[in-house]
Amino acid sequence: MSNWDHIQSSASAAGALKVLSLSLDGQLFAIDAGCVREILDLIPVTEVPASSPFASGLINVRGKVVPLADLRHKLGMTKRSPTIDTRIVVIEVDLDGDLTTVGIIADKVHEVTDIPQSGIEATPRIGLAWPPEFIRCLGKRSGDFLIVLDITRIFSGEQSRQDPSSFQAVDRNCC
Amino acid sequence: MPKTILAVDDSASMRQMIKLTLRNAGYDVIEAADGQEGLSQARRAKIHMILTDLNMPVMDGMVFIRELRKSPAYTGIPIVFVTTESDAEKKSQAKAAGATAWITKPFQPEQLVAVAKKVLGE
Amino acid sequence: MSPTNPIEIFKQEAQELLAQLEATLLDLDCTPDDPDLIDAAFRALHTIKGSGAMFGFEAAAAFTHHVETVFDQIRQGKARLTRDLIAVALRARDHMRLLIERPEKADPAAEEALLAALHDSLSPGEAVPVVPCEAAGERVWRVSMRLPRDAMINGTNPLLLVDELRSLGESIVTPVTDTIPRLQEIDPSACYMAWEITLKTSKPRSEIEDVFIFVRDEMELEIALAETSCEDAQGKPDAQEPTPSGPAEETLSEREPPEAPAPQGEADAHATPAEQQRVRRETTKNHASIRVPADRLDELMDRVGELVITQSRLKQIAASSSDQQVRAVAEEIERLALELRDTTMGIRMVPIGSLFGRFRRVVHDLSRDLGKEVELIMEGEETELDKTVVEQLNDPLVHLIRNSIDHGIEKPADRIASGKAPAGQITLSARHAGTEVHITIIDDGRGLNRDRIRARAIERGLISADGALSDAELFQVVFLPGFSTVSEVTNLSGRGVGMDVVKRTIEALRGRIELSSMPNRGAKVTLRLPLTLAIIDGLLVRVGDARYVLPLAAIEECVELPADDKGGSRGCSFLNIRGELVPFLRLRELFAAKTPPDRYQKVVVVAAGDLKAGLVVDQVIGNHQTVIKSLSKLHAGIEMFSGATILGDGAVALILDIPHLVQFGQIAEEQLRAAA
Repeated sequence: MSNWDHIQSSASAAGALKVLSLSLDGQLFAIDAGCVREILDLIPVTEVPASSPFASGLINVRGKVVPLADLRHKLGMTKRSPTIDTRIVVIEVDLDGDLTTVGIIADKVHEVTDIPQSGIEATPRIGLAWPPEFIRCLGKRSGDFLIVLDITRIFSGEQSRQDPSSFQAVDRNCC
Repeated sequence: MPKTILAVDDSASMRQMIKLTLRNAGYDVIEAADGQEGLSQARRAKIHMILTDLNMPVMDGMVFIRELRKSPAYTGIPIVFVTTESDAEKKSQAKAAGATAWITKPFQPEQLVAVAKKVLGE
Repeated sequence: MSPTNPIEIFKQEAQELLAQLEATLLDLDCTPDDPDLIDAAFRALHTIKGSGAMFGFEAAAAFTHHVETVFDQIRQGKARLTRDLIAVALRARDHMRLLIERPEKADPAAEEALLAALHDSLSPGEAVPVVPCEAAGERVWRVSMRLPRDAMINGTNPLLLVDELRSLGESIVTPVTDTIPRLQEIDPSACYMAWEITLKTSKPRSEIEDVFIFVRDEMELEIALAETSCEDAQGKPDAQEPTPSGPAEETLSEREPPEAPAPQGEADAHATPAEQQRVRRETTKNHASIRVPADRLDELMDRVGELVITQSRLKQIAASSSDQQVRAVAEEIERLALELRDTTMGIRMVPIGSLFGRFRRVVHDLSRDLGKEVELIMEGEETELDKTVVEQLNDPLVHLIRNSIDHGIEKPADRIASGKAPAGQITLSARHAGTEVHITIIDDGRGLNRDRIRARAIERGLISADGALSDAELFQVVFLPGFSTVSEVTNLSGRGVGMDVVKRTIEALRGRIELSSMPNRGAKVTLRLPLTLAIIDGLLVRVGDARYVLPLAAIEECVELPADDKGGSRGCSFLNIRGELVPFLRLRELFAAKTPPDRYQKVVVVAAGDLKAGLVVDQVIGNHQTVIKSLSKLHAGIEMFSGATILGDGAVALILDIPHLVQFGQIAEEQLRAAA
């Protein structure tokens, strides 16, 4: 991971946005590289019963218990089975005032890249297939458009509440 | 070889202050929180001078120096009382018990060093 | 790092001394004549004054000096300690604390008032601390003293010497300034002054000489009789009185003052029973503990946690190894890791008595303020909880106690009218129960008024007028925000701490709070808190293809589910265990297990308080040292789980929250009954 620190610390030109680009369901997204801590291969995931489908698992990252979130759920995309390219990106995100370590699933991780200030464009209010409130901006880089996600917004308001479906288990039990 | 001073006082802040002051002046300092501990310390190491409080739990300063003076190694050692009291009766008792000098609290750190030097004949 | 700055050390010391002083004063409230306690109070004041002056806390030292003087009077038998005086002393102690910790907040007017109150509280006629002049045997002396130039540098305070002389009797002090140089030439650390003092005293000459006993060799001193004793001289010739010596010479032989034996005896008596008891308390305190920064303890806990996890991996690997030596060493490491775990866990646990002790002051002050008499009884003070939990319990418990005294306990006259003892009783108790700690506050006052609570709840729109509620449900309304009125949040409850905040605090600790009451007999508040241990003994189970951990402390037994039980038929949700009907929950259903069930299901019977439930699992795997990792906000709200842990093979397993599941089982049972 020292490789990673080196990449992260290489300075961006003023105004540029350093992002990590990744694929979800074939679509190219990006997240702020500053919040990324490490990138892992797929490791065993423990399912948490009665949890929200957005954050339904727990993983072990160097002895720390870290929740695993699936951004695809929030973006209205279908879940895919993992492939050999699937990675877990470990990030730090502000959860209601607490800086929390969280893992997010990516179908494929590409690279860390700088989007020059000139390439940053505001999110169109309409016309996008994904909820605009979760998108921070669009980034144009070598001809491609990267959809830069607003991680903080995606995770805000995601405090767990007991999933009501868990109570149905009781009814079944009582037939 | 620096000279060793034993500081006996039940107040940790006093001991710390005495320790810092005297170490700065080039002395080694050993601490004890009451007379009994003071006696143990005195038996363990070679000490050149003793500073002691009067009012302490377990064994107070008066009893402490009387006991200490019984020991042949310490009949001549300079002992200085460092206390808030300034009662003539106590002073004469202290003198009778074998005290060499008396410093009243509060005092300035420099005064402590001056007394130490004087009492150690430096 | 612990502080090395003496001033910081003093502040810590002062805090401890002030805490001790408060406890001593409260003890004195019950036994105001106890000489050991009076002595202990005096010594605490004496030390604070002395060290305070040393480290620049002059205002605190000066104020403390006054309090010390009062206690000196009391311990010499010249004044009596009354309960009123104790109350003033407690307030004075608070002021002392303020002067040391936050001097800018100290109010000089308040200080004046306290000093006045201190003097007023002394039994009349004994306020003057100076020894009354005895007419008989008094003589007038002329003392002429001049200290060497370097006297002050050498630690002598000339003013103290002068004061000592003045304490011997009536005196007239005349400074002699003829050797003071011009301003430009003055060395501020040099002593240029001399004094002429006319002293009228009955004390013997030796006592005058003793004032200078340690500086005699370096100074100029003349002591001469000015005139013979007063008119009504009955001439009590003092054996050691020398004839008036000439002005120039004093025969200051170093004779043993005959007074020495008496004071010496006094000093020795001091060192025995009176000292010893206090001393025992103090020495155990001094030698039994050291200060450690809390985050260092946290680090230690983390390391131990990691060690436990790694050791369980080693255990797994060793179990499948055929190397006998490896297995032996792995076993030994397991034993050591467990012992280390137990010792480290113990460090963060503090007995709740440390918290209960603080309430004595609260009860004392409140009962005085409200004109009630209250006796505080404490039980289970040795019950241990995590330090951070104990700290968070302070505010809620204080509020609950205040409530009891304010609204529960009646005034003595009213109590007598109802046939009760005039003094009310509040009992604070704590005990371990499985994975929880139960803390109760019981008072024998008038109890909760069901009708008034109901009326107010309806008035505030919190319940409907026609709803029928059990007592337990009704009393829970008290915790709703909006129930408290302005009159509830009196000056005493201050700080905006209402019952709703109390409940929230307890729930933030993952605990629960209940009220119960008997009209006119009293009320009871019960707090149930989970023991927040970092490492627990766990039982590892399998449900479907996932593993979970149950805290061993909550487990009563494991039984097999009868094989003829086809899951899900009505009426089969109870187990008959030795005549007792225990509801059970199928965790496979609760956790939506997808794999086919094991042929023989197991039931782990757990308990929370008085309630039991059976948890049905596929397999009971075995014991597991469980290092508890808390869940992030994404999962913390799921009440079935109290945390997660890492197993020997690196997988994550969730830890079940037993009290919640048991409650869940009860609800399921009630639903079943309702449906039947």
